[in-house]
Amino acid sequence: MANLALRNLVKTYDKTEVLHGINLDVADGEFVVFVGPSGCGKSTTLRLIAGLEDTTSGEIEIAGRTVNNLEPKDRDIAMVFQNYAIYPHMTVRKNIGFGLRTSKLPRAQKDARINEVAEILDMTPLLERKPNQLSGGQRQRVAIGRAMVRDPAVFLFDEPLSNLDAQLRTQMRLEIKKLHQRVGNTIIFVTHDQVEAMTMADRIVIMKDGHIQQVGTPAEVYHSPANMFVATFIGAPAMNMLTGKGTGGGIALPSGTFATNGPDGADLVLGVRPDDLMLSGGQAVTAGKVILREPLGSETLIYVDTPSGEIIARADGRTPPEVGETVQLGADPANVHVFDAASGQAVR
Amino acid sequence: MYRNLTIRQKQIVWAWAFLAIPVLFYVVIRFYPTGNAMLISLQNWNLLGDRTWAGLDNYAKLMQDEVFWKVFKNTFVYLLIGTPVSLVISFIIAYHLDRVRFMHGFIRMLYFLPFMTSAVAMAWVWRGFYQPVPVGLFNNYLAAAGIPQIEFLRSTTNALPSILAPAVWAGLGFQIIIFMAGLRAIPRSYYEAARIDGVPWWTVLFEITIPLLKPTIVFIVVFSSIGFLRIFDHVFNMTSNDPGGPLNSTKPLVLMIYDTAFNAFDMGYASAQTVVLFLILLIVSLIQLRILRDR
Repeated sequence: MANLALRNLVKTYDKTEVLHGINLDVADGEFVVFVGPSGCGKSTTLRLIAGLEDTTSGEIEIAGRTVNNLEPKDRDIAMVFQNYAIYPHMTVRKNIGFGLRTSKLPRAQKDARINEVAEILDMTPLLERKPNQLSGGQRQRVAIGRAMVRDPAVFLFDEPLSNLDAQLRTQMRLEIKKLHQRVGNTIIFVTHDQVEAMTMADRIVIMKDGHIQQVGTPAEVYHSPANMFVATFIGAPAMNMLTGKGTGGGIALPSGTFATNGPDGADLVLGVRPDDLMLSGGQAVTAGKVILREPLGSETLIYVDTPSGEIIARADGRTPPEVGETVQLGADPANVHVFDAASGQAVR
Repeated sequence: MYRNLTIRQKQIVWAWAFLAIPVLFYVVIRFYPTGNAMLISLQNWNLLGDRTWAGLDNYAKLMQDEVFWKVFKNTFVYLLIGTPVSLVISFIIAYHLDRVRFMHGFIRMLYFLPFMTSAVAMAWVWRGFYQPVPVGLFNNYLAAAGIPQIEFLRSTTNALPSILAPAVWAGLGFQIIIFMAGLRAIPRSYYEAARIDGVPWWTVLFEITIPLLKPTIVFIVVFSSIGFLRIFDHVFNMTSNDPGGPLNSTKPLVLMIYDTAFNAFDMGYASAQTVVLFLILLIVSLIQLRILRDR
């Protein structure tokens, strides 16, 4: 059934190329999240899939049909916008029903469909209200309802949670994920928030400057980032990057050699996540004075001034080292990442 | 003493200090003459002699004045044709101009130009257009096309629409600018969502664009209605050898007031007409606001 394929998708505005050949296959029922910093082309890709922008070159396939030259309405998609795009002068019922305006279903069936969607979204008591009588989360649900009522092959979400406050965002994140488990349609979800991407996605597509950096499950992109950009973009606080020189059997860092495999003589970068740095045990990475502590309750982030620059490590929440104390930072060689300094690509 | 006031009290003192000038201005320039006009409408006065008490005589006279009822009708014809026509035309232009990228600013300036031009100058130019051959532009075209001449300003039936046309045209620029601002304020995603839903353009126009433009439409309707109810300069300048003619067929209320006051010097009667105009403006504006306001 419905799957989505992008083949060599290129988009240029005037003379500026903003997407440089995107290739992606999305399986039926998959929840794929596009994530990246602003201007990386993720929203543009979504708008190309929706048909709101013309494709410069390349192909978009939805459910086995090439849709490049089809109007948005004929592409069997539905979209949820960042500002919801629900009409303030219409009731919730009319807003949800708007997606069915052109459908040839008999009236009774349309009404039944609207009621069914309202039921799923828990909006039945709100159907006769106007959007200005709804909370932010409820408006968001109306926008989702309007997309659902058309039962599209692919749902497109354009940063739908960024207008909500932090608490509501967490809640809607869960609701969208539950909804996906329940209805099972394919979802393409665009966000700049890596936490949203990690928590919701079956697969994450990380983009930067119009290129896909890596495609993988949340665990894959977290544990085996393809390059330094992905490594620092995914995970908070960001991965520590220590520059050094390859010695064949290790990396020569300012504070000593860390034994790991990597090419000899190359400029390399050792990447270690704050969680993987150990205050005792492991193979020594570096050492330095604690200059700052950020207590988070269950744990404390410590900022350590080392010969390789400022390093963030995670310490126990109850007995973190004092500011000014010198700490030894070690890591399990199995959990570190090695990147080529020039290309940024992962070496192992 | 000022030092001991609370912040709130200080704010009030300052607010009134700033408000004092406009309040004074309004009292002297607006409210006093308005009250005075209402008083004079109950008196007889020829501008030089004594004012004598007349009670409601002026109003009684007005009710029996055939010219007043003719003028009353004319005023509403200006209103009832001018407002909807200018509303529709300015919306259509704004709606399409909004999509034009090429020389957008220049085209907008062209539309705005008539609004900035003196009504007197414009009225005289249009008056020239309406003349018979060989002077009048329109009749020259008609003659060239072999169509009989049209008496634009010298016919009791054609004169009013002929005067209304440039009046509508002159106001378009302003209304177009207001409409375009209203159109720009509608988020693009509303249209994109409608595109994805695949609704036809007329559904988008009548169910999204126009309902969302309601505040703009209310403003323009009220504003242009007041303008058409007070129409004067176009009529006066285009029919200056017989103001409001021929046979009072183009005379609006304001012109009648002017005539009564400064040709007949019957201040009491003119004031009574002014009070009636004031009431008409008030009632029409209130009705429009009530009908068009969001329920």
